[in-house]
Amino acid sequence: MNQVSTPVRERTPRTDRIEARANGLLSDCRRAFHAFGELDELAENLRILSLNAELAAGRAGDKGRAVRALTQYTRELVNRLAQIQGEMNSLRGRTFALSSTILRGLSQMSLFERACGLIDDHDHDARAKSAADHAFHDIMRMLVDTLSDMANCVGELARRAHGVEEVVSQSDSIATNIAIEAAAAGVHEKEFRTVSDTMRHYVDDLRKMIDEASDAVRRASEKGESLRRLGMDSLGELGFNG
Amino acid sequence: MKCVTLFRQDDHSWQAFGQDRDKPDNVIDTNQYMIRAGGSAILLDPGGMEVFPAMLAALTREIPVDEIKALFLSHQDPDIGSSLPLWRRVCRPDVKIYLSWLWAGFTAHFDRDATFTTIPDEGMEISLSHDVRLRFIPAHYLHSSGNFNVYDPKARILFSGDMGAALVPADRANGTMFVSDFAGHIQYMDGFHRRWLGSTRARDAWVAQVSKLDIDMLAPQHGLIFKGDDVKRFIDWIAGLEIGSGVASMNR
Ligand SMILES: [Fe+2]
Ligand SMILES: [Fe+2]
Repeated sequence: MNQVSTPVRERTPRTDRIEARANGLLSDCRRAFHAFGELDELAENLRILSLNAELAAGRAGDKGRAVRALTQYTRELVNRLAQIQGEMNSLRGRTFALSSTILRGLSQMSLFERACGLIDDHDHDARAKSAADHAFHDIMRMLVDTLSDMANCVGELARRAHGVEEVVSQSDSIATNIAIEAAAAGVHEKEFRTVSDTMRHYVDDLRKMIDEASDAVRRASEKGESLRRLGMDSLGELGFNG
Repeated sequence: MKCVTLFRQDDHSWQAFGQDRDKPDNVIDTNQYMIRAGGSAILLDPGGMEVFPAMLAALTREIPVDEIKALFLSHQDPDIGSSLPLWRRVCRPDVKIYLSWLWAGFTAHFDRDATFTTIPDEGMEISLSHDVRLRFIPAHYLHSSGNFNVYDPKARILFSGDMGAALVPADRANGTMFVSDFAGHIQYMDGFHRRWLGSTRARDAWVAQVSKLDIDMLAPQHGLIFKGDDVKRFIDWIAGLEIGSGVASMNR
């Protein structure tokens, strides 16, 4: 196989500084979405569990009345998860579109930074310098705007994560209540206990998912904010602010 | 990046840009051309995005970017037009972009916001100034299936795109942008034409077509420019070359 060598490019410090942080931001966003990747499977498991629990509650007759109410409540939580998941999917699409705009902007910005470096000599007049500087500035402004949109997406992602967290804590208390009902359910105790244990298990998985995702979202929002400030500062340095 | 004037008469001129010494070795060397007349300029095959910084720096030594009224892309290759979105950031918003109708949707992958003025298969003629007209003449399948040359009858220069292209090793560059020893130059264009060109019919049609034109200089997108008798030598050489060498690697 042929190998093509890639020589070291000229340095573009202004772009590199932003690029390094942008890559960090994009990887945190990817990590957050990746963490939520199993949400649909967990929601489906929870839905099936609530169906099985409802059947068990039916078999238990009067002794299953409370459990039946709890399973209906679980079903509502599952619907809530499905809704959050749908919102998260469209958020994911938006975020990835923004990342590609950011990456394209960065690659253009580094080329213009190189051009500005080459034009900054006595052979060029002020018009040439200003054309290149303006283009660099336009890309920077576009990046700052895109980063603001990205920060909004991260904020929305944080809200969805919080929504999942609420579902988790409510599911946890449903599991506890089913366990209490199990203690008084006589011959149905074992069946109800299994439901409660399985539910706890799912709750634990969801909690792990939320911890991982929240961490990534928090880091992403910090990086997004510092990047936006860095971009604003660079715009200020270029003297184009406003 | 070097800039050489090929032709100048009053405000009508041709300039070639190329042989960028700071270009990374793994990026193929390209020639970019600028034709100026009456306060307007057209850039022929503005180049890949990798050469853009050097090209912009070289070009703005010659003219302000807002004099560029049009960009011409001979075909869809990345070394021809991947710099398009960058040029559009510095050029006037109404800059025209000429390109074969075949490639508009493909080249949009480089720049989805660009509006193309598409060239029909039979080519077209444009006015650069009141007395300088340029002809976009078809060179399809050589190598690209939607491909055009640019002929300036007043300057008697043919921009031939990848026809006449040569890959001259950096240590063999003799400091000029012109072919000085045709026989010695063949080794640098032989492999390229045998492998990149595929259609003998198209080649024959091209040879017949350009043989009818008065050409003082044949300016390719890669390598050195042919002038004087070397133009005819090139046309005769390409007319007899066996092309489509890639076919031999199929059905083995
Ligand atoms: Fe090509
Ligand atoms: Fe080419």
